[in-house]
Amino acid sequence: MNTELEQRLRADMEQATRDIRIPPGLALKAHRHSHKRTITTRAVAAAGTAAVLVAGTLTLAEVTGAFGQPAGGSQVRTTAYVISRVERALSASDMSNMVGYTRTVYPAGITLQPVPGGGTAEMTIRRVLDRIVAMGVNGSGGGSRSPRWGDYELLWAYHHTTKMSAFTATGQHVFDERLTVGRGSLETTVVTYPSHTWWTAQSPRLAVTGSASAGCLPAGQIRLTGGANAWPAFIHSQLACGAYTAAGKQALGGVDALRITGSSGQFTLWVNPVTYLPMRLQAGGLIQINFQWLPPTPANLAMLNMPVPASFHQVVPPS
Amino acid sequence: MGSDRAAADLELFLAERGEPLLRTAVLLAGSSEAGEDLLQAALERLLRRWRTIEGDPEGYLRRTLYHLAADNWRQHQVRRTRLRLLQSGAGAAVVDGTAEVDLRDSLVRLLRQLPPRQRAVIVARYWEQLSEAESAQALGCSVGTVKSATSRGLRRLRELSESSGPMELATQGSARGRRS
Repeated sequence: MNTELEQRLRADMEQATRDIRIPPGLALKAHRHSHKRTITTRAVAAAGTAAVLVAGTLTLAEVTGAFGQPAGGSQVRTTAYVISRVERALSASDMSNMVGYTRTVYPAGITLQPVPGGGTAEMTIRRVLDRIVAMGVNGSGGGSRSPRWGDYELLWAYHHTTKMSAFTATGQHVFDERLTVGRGSLETTVVTYPSHTWWTAQSPRLAVTGSASAGCLPAGQIRLTGGANAWPAFIHSQLACGAYTAAGKQALGGVDALRITGSSGQFTLWVNPVTYLPMRLQAGGLIQINFQWLPPTPANLAMLNMPVPASFHQVVPPS
Repeated sequence: MGSDRAAADLELFLAERGEPLLRTAVLLAGSSEAGEDLLQAALERLLRRWRTIEGDPEGYLRRTLYHLAADNWRQHQVRRTRLRLLQSGAGAAVVDGTAEVDLRDSLVRLLRQLPPRQRAVIVARYWEQLSEAESAQALGCSVGTVKSATSRGLRRLRELSESSGPMELATQGSARGRRS
């Protein structure tokens, strides 16, 4: 099998070039060298070759004229290129076989509570996000008034299984929720740590509205229709709507991530400069999702397991 | 005036996109110094074609990097190395790769032992994660050539790694994940 070799190769290449930085003056050097070559061409032409003279002059005109255009030209082209690479990375065939991992930090006023049959884990996210949308991107409106159960969550998704772990801001493990999509139904199992309880429930699989991730949503809004691994489709659909700009680089997790912003400023995406896969999404300044796309190794797949501690007692699922 | 603008514009472009390009160039060329030379050569071509390039300049630059690396960069590099030796005098004739990337991992070191085209294909497929068709486009060859070069390159890398330390691959490979 080459897979192991390929993964190792990629990791090694990443490691070997991690500290590579563009040396100052490289552009100037290239420009001077290019200019010198052009001048040389002209000199040769001046010595007597009329045809070369014409070519040399044209070349010089190209060089000076090329950068006489507004600086925005290259910026527009850079944006087009970056977004096309992101779209390509998101729709790559191996994306569907990745373990999607997200760490989502919710704003104050949002409460995470496990509910049976709320849909797949993707629907759990959607429920919460719907509340955010209901609050409005500026945080106005009513958030949940129920006791705070979780401030941030870690979520792993692979094919039809999703596991979410919710924590308080101080890192206290509040609950785990595992959802498995079957034929026409979904199974929800929740382990609640403060109360030492757990419950499980079968519920009909909710129909997902097909337009949820396909349309161009108002800035700052998020709709998901397929779990953590539905993020690629969502991001893809929003980028396809246009109005996004490559907005420079920003250090993120040890790499200089490329920043892509929506024209309204309500949607910012950071992507890996090499793989072009999303690293972070910030919507409306309220919610922040950090992404990782992991190979389906035994260790990563094990994150989807959710053992129930022996001392915990089973309770009736909440309605 | 045009020159100043040119340098500034290119500097802007490099600030935005230069790093991943240089990393690719370094992997293609085998050392940081050769990678910089390779990128500079590609930038010079970009400058000469700036106005006539349709679409994004980065795409052109990448294709140029791959073309140079796969086809004639080796010869070009030899010429430059000789030139450097002449310029710096006999005492500086130490082209020993001290400016090379810190090759902590054997596979990158072994990658340098592959022929340029195979190396370029491996970098395109496993570093940039281009598809076979995209790699073929970047390298200016057929998809079949990409497939065969990939297969031969991986086979060769495996042979080289097994002869230099099979256990290392077996123990470290599975623990590594894809970067975020």
